[in-house]
Amino acid sequence: MTEYLIRRILQSILVIFLISLVTFGLIHAAPGGPTQMMISPGMSPEAAEIQKHNLGLDKPVPEQYWNWIKGLLSGDLGKTFKNNTPVGDILWPTIKNTFVLMSFAWVISMLIAIPWGIYNSTKPYGLSDQTSNFISYVGFAMPAFWFGIILQQVFAIQLNWLPLSDMYAMDKQGNFSDLLYHLVLPCTVLILANLAAYSKYSRSSMLEVLEQDYIRTARAKGVPERKVIFRHALRNALIPIITVLGMELPTLVVGAALTESVFNWPGMGRLYVDMARAREYSVLMAIVLVTAVMVVLGNLIADILYKIVDPRVQLGRKGGKSA
Amino acid sequence: MASKKKWLSLFVSLSVVSALFVGCGDSKTAETPKDEPKKEEAAGTDKPAENPGEPKQGGTLTVGTFSDVVNLNPIYVQDTASADADYFIYAHLFDFDKEGNVVAEPWSLAAEPMKISEDGLTYEIKLKDNLKWSDGQPITADDVKFTIETILNPESGAPGIAQYDKISKIEVVDPQNLKITLKQVYAPFQYSLHMQVAPQHVLKDVKVTEMQKNPYGTDPAKTVTSGPWKWTEWKQKEYLKFDANPDYWGPKPNIQTVVYKIYADQNTEVQALIKGDVDVVGGIPVTQLDAVKKVDKITVASEPGPQYEYVGLNRKPENFKDNFVPWDGQKTRQAMAYALNRQGMVDNVLKGIGKLMNAPFMPNSWADPGDAAVNYDYNPEKAKQLLAEDGWKPGSDGILVKDGHRFSFELQYNSGNSRREQVSLVMQQNFKEVGIEMIPKAIDFAAWNEQNLVPGKFNAILLGWSLDSPDPNGESTFSSKFFAPKGQNNVFYKNEKLDQLWEEGTKVVDQEKRKEIYKEVAKEISTDLPYIFMYSYGTPQAHSKKIKFKPEDAPITNLARGEFFHVNNWWIDDAK
Repeated sequence: MTEYLIRRILQSILVIFLISLVTFGLIHAAPGGPTQMMISPGMSPEAAEIQKHNLGLDKPVPEQYWNWIKGLLSGDLGKTFKNNTPVGDILWPTIKNTFVLMSFAWVISMLIAIPWGIYNSTKPYGLSDQTSNFISYVGFAMPAFWFGIILQQVFAIQLNWLPLSDMYAMDKQGNFSDLLYHLVLPCTVLILANLAAYSKYSRSSMLEVLEQDYIRTARAKGVPERKVIFRHALRNALIPIITVLGMELPTLVVGAALTESVFNWPGMGRLYVDMARAREYSVLMAIVLVTAVMVVLGNLIADILYKIVDPRVQLGRKGGKSA
Repeated sequence: MASKKKWLSLFVSLSVVSALFVGCGDSKTAETPKDEPKKEEAAGTDKPAENPGEPKQGGTLTVGTFSDVVNLNPIYVQDTASADADYFIYAHLFDFDKEGNVVAEPWSLAAEPMKISEDGLTYEIKLKDNLKWSDGQPITADDVKFTIETILNPESGAPGIAQYDKISKIEVVDPQNLKITLKQVYAPFQYSLHMQVAPQHVLKDVKVTEMQKNPYGTDPAKTVTSGPWKWTEWKQKEYLKFDANPDYWGPKPNIQTVVYKIYADQNTEVQALIKGDVDVVGGIPVTQLDAVKKVDKITVASEPGPQYEYVGLNRKPENFKDNFVPWDGQKTRQAMAYALNRQGMVDNVLKGIGKLMNAPFMPNSWADPGDAAVNYDYNPEKAKQLLAEDGWKPGSDGILVKDGHRFSFELQYNSGNSRREQVSLVMQQNFKEVGIEMIPKAIDFAAWNEQNLVPGKFNAILLGWSLDSPDPNGESTFSSKFFAPKGQNNVFYKNEKLDQLWEEGTKVVDQEKRKEIYKEVAKEISTDLPYIFMYSYGTPQAHSKKIKFKPEDAPITNLARGEFFHVNNWWIDDAK
């Protein structure tokens, strides 16, 4: 296990390094750099040069990359071009906000979807299963922003029951009940999307297991259905579900940009869109990096959970697969 | 002002537009005479109450925006969001009136109108004697001098340098009096004095190269200001808060708190407006206009703003196949103008909002040339006739041919801008009817700007200019002294008569005389057509009806930040 972990971590570092290299290169190859946004037409060429120099943008790209990496190693994510704010100062609060939103949605979706999927697997094509199917189709088919706008129209504008957007009311920053109040609509949007995926996965995974020989044997031996489901089938059915949830982990931090935009949630998805528009490379790079770390970490956690759920799973094999 | 037309503000409006599916404008083109306040607005637009009542103290004004501020230090402000925010917390040296004249208001730092010497070279400025920064220190002529000198120092990297580069010296006579001498007569200079001032006592010891990195301008606690409100809070990407400054030297504002609320995009912002979370929105996308108008508690101002759209016709042979510029002949350019159904575009694409423009001057400002500029009505027959006179003959495929060259060109515009997409399709059709082949090509703005606009590499472009300053000087866009990439004349237009007129326009200080010169410019430019001028457009402003103001303090559309015009005199109806 330790050896495997070390191998996986080294592997992950390499992956992250490669991602950073490729993204840095691509971003700098794109036309319309940050200086373009900085320099106004009336500015003298002299002042423009000084501006570029101050920002370190007059250096060759490999050198800029090297400086960036050096900064990273000392914990410095760089500064924004436009007002010289440390990137960390902008990034961390948004990660925190996205995490709040996504983890609420994630936990609630899981609590609803997994038991529901399992229940449906025991009564396939029953009313509950059909309902779940219908919701899944809606969840897959309806774009999050569209559903979000509908909810806003109905519950915030027409009925005036819930806030339209934001994380807190202006004068209630940090107030937990106000946060919950603001969470209702965006969480509903995210839950609908998650429900679709999670309940489908847990249902099909459970169905698959229920068709296995050992379940048939257990049933033939007269083991009560409850026991068949919870004692024998569930544990095996959970493995693929855990994979899916593990893959979903990064989105907890990375977030859903569209949902955040519609609900004006000050999260990282929204930040990414803003910064891409403003061509703030240092922030974009930091977001890409954080995302890469989260994806790698999500995979790792999924693998470890495998092991916990089913000790028979060989980690080495899985590790090769998920990297 | 050389930088009166800013790519940046243009880009901001473009990015809004491209972020959404936006056109612009509002219900009807108001034909309101310029000296009348909004009360005669087009039908369908709510008007401010005839009798708004008496001012009340207190309340919160929430302004919606879709991008965060960058830096509120007046020396470094260049983006729209920061400039909007600065409007609340800094006084101007001089302000604008409704027609864009530079005036000293009770809330201006200047005590009286500027005195311009006979020879037009010296500007004397007198400050009020009770001016105070928000930390209690006096605002003096030294602050003005310091601000201008810092901007002029290339080491500071200040964006506004070109506004002041005609200055030869600045003398502080005494704390309230200041004398600025120019190197040459330059009439637009007075518009550069519509400026905000940074505090010398806070910034004097900061190294000029470090000034931009200084927390002044980004840290509310360290940003000492001069306006009716002071900056108390900034939650990045969420909101800024300005509270009435209890020690403000000028007429006390009625509104206690101004919240500058940042939304992810225009859609979200408009939803918040409809719900009543936001009181002022400077730009409503045309797609959402109907929804906003249905809301009783909102007033929508429908005149187009200070932007205009044009078709830029490149004149540099290198940009064309075989170095053949199809519109070298004046008649051909005029024919192209006749071929376009501009009013149809305004009616259908801009939903009736927008006004045909024939010369590059801010509508309803003192320099608006009115009928002096040639108007090209939609007239395909006349277009065909002029094309024939200029030597074009129909080819085998119906496209005109001259000296073996087909009349075919590419029109570039920025992708994601639905207005331009639609307009370009109408143009394509219109041109085809007279035998001209136009190939529309949409390009991402950033790439387009860098690779085509700045160096001037294209056949023709569909683009807009934002007239940030009411001053009519357009020399840097149209004079042959400013060919791209050094200047903004990226269509390589050369007309000696105009070159000279633009120059004259800056050398006469008397406004009446200038007006005559710009009328002459309008006549010449609309005849010779470096651009086909299309229409003025803009994004309609929306105001909650709980905001009250006297008619003379009503928001206006033709000035930049006109949606906050005289905000210090407004009040909130339900203020508690």
